Amino acid sequence: MSPEEEHPGRPTPSGGPATYQVTFELPDGSSHTVPARADEHVLDAGRRAGLQLPSRCEQGWDLVCAVRVLSGEFDQSDSRRYFDQDREAGFALICTAKPRSDMRVRTHQSRAMRDARRARGLPAPRGV
Amino acid sequence: MANDKPHATGTVAYGDVDRKVGIEVLRQQGINVEELVEKLIDNAAAEFASTYYYYSILRMYLAGHEDYKEICEDARLEDRQHYELILPRIYELGGSLPYSLHEFADRAGCPAAYLPGTDNGAHPPAEEPTAADILTVLLESERCAIRSWLEICQITAGKDPRTYDLASRILNEEIEHEAWFIELLAMERDGKVRPSGHFRRGFPGEAPYSRNRPFSHGGL
Repeated sequence: MSPEEEHPGRPTPSGGPATYQVTFELPDGSSHTVPARADEHVLDAGRRAGLQLPSRCEQGWDLVCAVRVLSGEFDQSDSRRYFDQDREAGFALICTAKPRSDMRVRTHQSRAMRDARRARGLPAPRGV
Repeated sequence: MANDKPHATGTVAYGDVDRKVGIEVLRQQGINVEELVEKLIDNAAAEFASTYYYYSILRMYLAGHEDYKEICEDARLEDRQHYELILPRIYELGGSLPYSLHEFADRAGCPAAYLPGTDNGAHPPAEEPTAADILTVLLESERCAIRSWLEICQITAGKDPRTYDLASRILNEEIEHEAWFIELLAMERDGKVRPSGHFRRGFPGEAPYSRNRPFSHGGL
């Protein structure tokens, strides 16, 4: 087990960025916990661990990478379009979300996030 | 009488003008036509509102880099051509453009290619953006377009040859555009050579893959 895994959320001994544990719940019912650095996007951490996760624009815009956040904190400031209401509704765009704590997310939520946007009168692509 | 011989598919009545065999055969192939149309509208909006419009502004701010300006112009006009190419297909499949341009832009599948330093188009640039800043925006816009049209190709491959043909023609040019902007940005920003295979178009915005040419002109 690496030092990062032993001390999640703490800086590495070398002074590098903190590392958190992110658990992905996939549509097939499986769940996978992977380390994610505070300076990387959650999608990158999942893919580095070999998970097949959807994305398209990869700029925090089109909702294809949307997840429902079951627990944990994240920084979504790298996104091109993300609303306070998205966070209130429990959604994150992991292509541009950095972990700020351990997280648990349910993947493949693009349609749910699109519908949540539309219900609130917020813009979203329709074809996700 | 003609109606004694019903249509062979059994799904479109003889003389029916409310349904299209051209759509029903796609359903038989497993295509969700309504979802496909929504994706095509998102992509059309990205071509028209996210890139064509904003590339117009980016091009203006490449003053002094006339080579970059011309290549940006090719990409700008070809993105407009992509919108023109896919537009009839949206209607053939039973879709429609939104009746508001505002709504159209809002639903684009790719983010707007705002001029750097404008706070997402909120104001004129506080400082003049560099050519590298602009080339970076152009590059990332093309990358989103590649992913978007590849998705259409993957959905329609082997099932909807007409939409596949249109999407693959657009994809060809988006891939070229990305290569161009990598070549330009690598040299402008990093001083490195990243050859793209680029050579100037025959005329601005030629769109060699995506432009429909009248048969009366011999396809030229």
